[in-house]
Amino acid sequence: MRRLPVYLLLDCSGSMFGEPIEAVKNGVQVLISTLRQDPYALETAYLSIITFDSSAQQLTPLTELSAFQQPSIQASGCTALGDALTLLAQRADQEVTKTTAEQKGDWKPLVFIMTDGEPTDDLNKGLAEFKKRKWGMVVACAAGAGANTDTLKKITECVVSLDTADSATIKAFFKWVSASVSSGSMKVEEIGAEATTLSELPPPPPEVNIVI
Amino acid sequence: MAAVNLNESARALDRAMRMAGVTSSDKESFLNWAVGSLWRTFKDERMNQRIMIENEVRGLGLRFPNGTVRKEYSVFFRLPVDKISDITLSGADELGLVFAAGEDGLCSLSGKPRTAGDFTLRLRYRTVEGEPVSELAIPVAFNPDPRELWHNIPTDPDIPYYKPDCDSEYVKVEAGADGAPRKDIVAASQRGRSHAREGKARDDHFSLFHCNDSDWYIIAVADGAGSAKYSRKGSEVACKTVIDHCKNLLADNPGFEASIREYEADRENQDKRTTVTRQVIDIIYTGAMKAHEAVKKVAEANDEAKLKDFATTLMFAVCKKYDFGWFIASFWVGDGAMCLFDEKTKTAKLLGTPDEGEFSGQTRFLTMPEIFRDPEVVSKRLRMSIVTDFTALFLMTDGVSDPMFETDRNLNDYTKWEEFYNKLSSGFPDDEIKGVDLSDDNETAEERLLGWLDFWSPGNHDDRTIAILY
Repeated sequence: MRRLPVYLLLDCSGSMFGEPIEAVKNGVQVLISTLRQDPYALETAYLSIITFDSSAQQLTPLTELSAFQQPSIQASGCTALGDALTLLAQRADQEVTKTTAEQKGDWKPLVFIMTDGEPTDDLNKGLAEFKKRKWGMVVACAAGAGANTDTLKKITECVVSLDTADSATIKAFFKWVSASVSSGSMKVEEIGAEATTLSELPPPPPEVNIVI
Repeated sequence: MAAVNLNESARALDRAMRMAGVTSSDKESFLNWAVGSLWRTFKDERMNQRIMIENEVRGLGLRFPNGTVRKEYSVFFRLPVDKISDITLSGADELGLVFAAGEDGLCSLSGKPRTAGDFTLRLRYRTVEGEPVSELAIPVAFNPDPRELWHNIPTDPDIPYYKPDCDSEYVKVEAGADGAPRKDIVAASQRGRSHAREGKARDDHFSLFHCNDSDWYIIAVADGAGSAKYSRKGSEVACKTVIDHCKNLLADNPGFEASIREYEADRENQDKRTTVTRQVIDIIYTGAMKAHEAVKKVAEANDEAKLKDFATTLMFAVCKKYDFGWFIASFWVGDGAMCLFDEKTKTAKLLGTPDEGEFSGQTRFLTMPEIFRDPEVVSKRLRMSIVTDFTALFLMTDGVSDPMFETDRNLNDYTKWEEFYNKLSSGFPDDEIKGVDLSDDNETAEERLLGWLDFWSPGNHDDRTIAILY
């Protein structure tokens, strides 16, 4: 079976402490509960959570939606986005099945990155590893005024921004991520191809601005 | 006796106070202070004890794995029963689950979850006598049955080019004058779950024909493109057109029959091969061209649609049994699979190459004019075969071949076809899907084949169509 891997890279630096991190936790919970109701996603989507503070860690390895359990997420430290990209590349090498003559591999992974600040580590190193791999849709979200959309543009063409990192806005973002995973898992089956541009995703809610 | 003892204790207390220097006037206030202060210490200690036990229970990190609604669920865990008592798991009953705590501390939660969703169970227990009941919230999630999420909404019969959501047919060809059994054709076509869920029409199509006079079998299967809005009509027109065309050309064609016989008798003879190939091109290739033209005509008659809105794949075969064996000629454009399968010789011969690159969804369609402009169209898409006999000739859309074979390489692997044939006859008992008994003149195979097409394969919910000559 061809799985649709979905990687969430979440900023858990100290600046996320309080309302933002609570909203992220809530968002992940809503994401899971919503996707479980979608037969396409329930069958094909596999989810992994990588968080980054002073370093990056994979809290949940790529797991089928039906078995996914909310990991414990806490905010502290710096913003090691570069490290997170390196880890993402490594984990994807391990977890995503490649196509062979006998077996169709997984679909190209969907990646959603959310950060509220500038990376505090060497972004370029992680970026180089990241760019070596093939990804499906990669969406980077700048949450609040502290995040730099120009930095995120180095990672992907698809950058969105949230004006504030409050719970309502973060919730709206996660709802959109959920709708995107839903449409992505339906699309791979119906059309047999991954989405690659923002225009192929469901239109984002008013809280989520597309950065051109 | 009790009164004496009380007096004795009182006297002992008196003595102790006197020795400590408590004066008679301070005695009462001292006693009040002493009891009050000890009581507070006692309560603090008791509370601390409770909190320590609560921390220990929390520290177990109890997490319940996710379950699936109405599927047997059972989880075991240990609790420190030497420290806690009166253990209950509030909320379990409502979910249809039973909680049990054994004397040795082994606890279980089991049953069949009644509803899907995210829930919170509350583990309640007593720690120290006199302390309030302790509580620990443990989340648990039950997935819906994925099969129940696939709703089946009938297609609105008023849409343009409506066609029924499923179709099946059995062409029974009884034994000839010599008493030898003759092959039959069975076919079924089922709307995919992804379409059923949205009330969208089936895009696949098939048409079958057996000519009693000439004994030619003609089978066509087409898969309308999912992204094309009227592909259901494209596939239908393509199938019907090739059947009509071949039917007319084959009904009474002594020239063609003679060429086949002459070629078979002298297969090394290039001229004879050329002659029969020309005639095959005339029948098969022209049939495909006509199908293309016919779809184009339907598209042109529709002001608000283009030819690509009718995009469809097409595979068809004409077959006839001679005294030397079977002659089969075929055409194939698009994905899916067309295969001549023979158990005796352990061969599975693909009658063409599926048009599918590394990425699916890049298939070629009959409706693409460039197909016919390709100078290699004949060598690529036409096949002519002579075989002594065969177990079955399969024509199927990718809705069947993708879940069954996955890759092109597997389509060329005899053992995979053998597995496929076994799945066809055994069905999928775990999913209560019955097998299809492909024995001669068994007309019930039609209904069985349609039911068989309902097999479950995660991520594969396309329309499914299969035609079998056997």
